[in-house]
Amino acid sequence: MTPLAATVRPRVNPYLSIDALDPEAELMLLHFGPQHPSTHGVFRMDLFLDGERIVKAVPHCGYLHRAVEKLCEKLAYVQLPPIVDKNDYVAPMTNEQALVMAFEAMLKLEVPRRARWMRALFAELQRVASHLLWLGTFSLDLGGALGGGSTVFIYCFRERELVLDLFEAVTGARFHYNTHSIGGNRHDLPAGWGAKVKAALDTIEARLPEYLAMTLHNHLFEQRTRGVGVLDGELALELGVTGPNLRASGVDHDLRRDAPFHAYDEVKVNVATARGGDCYARTEVRVAELVESLRLCRALLDGMPEGPINSGKPTKLPVQTKLPAGQQYVGIETPRGELGTWVIADGSQHPYRLKLRPPSLHALSALPYLLPGQTVSDAIAILGSLDPIMGEVDR
Amino acid sequence: MRHFLDAFRSIATAARSFARPPTTVQFPHEVRERAERYRASFALLHEADGDEACIGCLQCERICPSKVIAIKGPAKRDSPISGKKRSYADDFTLDLSACIFCELCVQVCPTDAIVMTREQEPPAYGREALVLTMAKLYENEKAKTRAWGDGTKLMEMQTPPKPPKPAPAGAPVAATSVASPSVGAAPAIEPTSAKPSEALGVASVGSTSAGAATSTSGPGPAPEAMASHAANSGAAALLNEPVTRTPVEPPEAAPLAAAPAGSPKVAAPQPGDEAGAAAPAGASPTKPEGGTP
Repeated sequence: MTPLAATVRPRVNPYLSIDALDPEAELMLLHFGPQHPSTHGVFRMDLFLDGERIVKAVPHCGYLHRAVEKLCEKLAYVQLPPIVDKNDYVAPMTNEQALVMAFEAMLKLEVPRRARWMRALFAELQRVASHLLWLGTFSLDLGGALGGGSTVFIYCFRERELVLDLFEAVTGARFHYNTHSIGGNRHDLPAGWGAKVKAALDTIEARLPEYLAMTLHNHLFEQRTRGVGVLDGELALELGVTGPNLRASGVDHDLRRDAPFHAYDEVKVNVATARGGDCYARTEVRVAELVESLRLCRALLDGMPEGPINSGKPTKLPVQTKLPAGQQYVGIETPRGELGTWVIADGSQHPYRLKLRPPSLHALSALPYLLPGQTVSDAIAILGSLDPIMGEVDR
Repeated sequence: MRHFLDAFRSIATAARSFARPPTTVQFPHEVRERAERYRASFALLHEADGDEACIGCLQCERICPSKVIAIKGPAKRDSPISGKKRSYADDFTLDLSACIFCELCVQVCPTDAIVMTREQEPPAYGREALVLTMAKLYENEKAKTRAWGDGTKLMEMQTPPKPPKPAPAGAPVAATSVASPSVGAAPAIEPTSAKPSEALGVASVGSTSAGAATSTSGPGPAPEAMASHAANSGAAALLNEPVTRTPVEPPEAAPLAAAPAGSPKVAAPQPGDEAGAAAPAGASPTKPEGGTP
C-alpha cells in the first residue's frame, strides 16, 4: 500500500519482557508523567533508557478513568449528550454528534437538513479549534527553539478563543455545549452569527502564515520533527489508528468522504494526506485540514438551508425516550479520527451497554512501536504529535 | 545560516504582535461581555402577578444528569396572591458545585420557572456557599442578568414548523383558548378542556390522558399557573404545555401524544425567535411531540 514500508526499520515486538532486553539490569527506568505537561491529561509511561536512547516504552493509561460508559448505562438517553461532552474535551461537539447519531440511527429518525448542515458546520469549526490547540501545544512540547516556545501556543489559543466565542453565541457554553439532541439540534443559529463566523475565519486565515513561519516553514521545527516517530501505514492500519495520524502515513482514509454523514454528501471534502509518517507529516496534514476546514466552514455557511432544526419527537417528554431493542454502531470523523459509538439497547430508557471507540486510544497504542530507538526529547515530540486526549482514552 | 534566518523570522513575527491591541482584559476590573445565551448560574422566577412560578413538578429534578436539584414537594396550598389552590415547591436547592450546566432543567420546565443567568456566582471558600438555596435562587431573579433561554423559547426553537392547515372542528375553540388562556392552557389537565378532543373523535385517548394528568398533578393548580405563562408565551407553547407537565411517570407515551391532537390549531408568531431560521409559524398539535419512538 505504501512505499514507506521498505524504508521503515524492521518492526520489533515492543511487548517483549524487559528481562530479555536487559538481562544485566543496566537500563535506567524513567517514569514519564503522569503529570507531565505534554501529556494533555494524565498519562504515564515507563521508559527504559540506555543513556538518552529509549529501549522500551510501556504506556500506562487509566489515570483519568471516570467510568463514563458505566455511567451511561444508568442514565436516560437524553441525559447522555452532556455526559459524553467531557470525553474529548478539546472537541466536545463531535462527541455529542457521534452519540446522538447512533441513537437516531436506531430510532430511524430523520434529522432535518438544516440540522445536518449545522452539525457539519459545528464539526468543522470544532476541527479548526482542535487543530489550533494541537498546533499550539505541540509547539510548546517542542520547546524553546520556536520563538520562545510558548509564542505559537499563545497565538493559537488566541485564535481558538474566536471559535469558542462563536459556539458561546449559539449554545451558551464555551465548552460542553449540549447542543445536540436526539433528532436534531437544541439551539438554532442566532441572527447575525454568520457574519461573526466569517470575520473569525478571515482572522484565522490571515494569521495562519504567522504560525507557519514558526512551525512548518521553520528550519528549526523541521529539524525537530523530520524523520522522528515514523509510523508506517501498515502498522497504523493494524493498530486501528485513524484520522490525521493515519493520513500522515500515506493512507487516504477519511470518513467524511468515504462514509459521508451530516452534510458531507453535499459538500466536497478534500482529504489531505502526507507520505512521511513522521511528526512533520502529521503537522502538515493537520495544517492542511485546518485550511480545508476554513474553506468548508464558508461553504457550509453559504449553503445553510432554512427549515426546522429538530425533528421534534423526543424533545417534549425527554426522560421517557426509549430505543428499540437492538444494537447500532456509528462512527464519525472527529479531529482526532474515527470516534465510534456502539449502543446496545434493550428497549428501556437506558442503554444496556454503550461502548465508545476513542481515536486517541488507538493513536496511543502506536507509542510502544514508535518510541524505541528515539531520544527522550523526541519522545515528547512523538507523544504530542499523536494528539491524544486522555479524557477520551480513559473515559 | 537558515537557522538564523528562521529564528529572526520568528522573532519578527512575534515583534509584530507588540503593535496589536491586547486580546485579554483585566478580569476583575473589566468583565468581558457575555453572549446572550451564556449559561453561568441559575434563578427562579416569579409570575407576573408576583406568585412563584415553580409548581414543584419535579421535571427538572428528574432530567438532571448529575442529580444536583433537590425539590421538596409538590405541596398544594392557597396562593397568597390569587387565593386559589395550586401546587408549590416547598424547598428547592441546586448544588452548583456539581452542576454541568447542560440546560436540560431549563428546557423541561413547564412554567419557565427556572432559567439560567449570564452572571456567574462569585468564587467561594467553601462548598456550602455554592449550594443555591431557594432564597438565593429567587434573589438571583433580580440580582443577575437572565440568559436568553427558558423552557418555552427553547421548545419553540426546536419545534419543527408545520404548514398551517385550516383548523377543522376545533376552530371556534381555538378562539376561546386564546382569549381565556386559563381554559385553553391545560387541555389535558382540566376536565373541561377534554371536550375539544371528544369533539374531534379522539375522546377515549384524550380522556385517558386527562385522567392520568389529574391523578398526578391535580386539576387545581394548573390553570392559574398556566395563565400568566400564557400571557408572555405564545399559544403555541400553551398547546404543547400539557405534554410536559402532565404525568410524572406516564405509563405509556401514546395517550400523551394523542392528547394535543384535540387541541385547536393556532398559528402564533414566535416571540423569542432571533434565529435566522424560518420562523416556525404555528404549533403542531396534530403531530405527537412526545410520542414514543
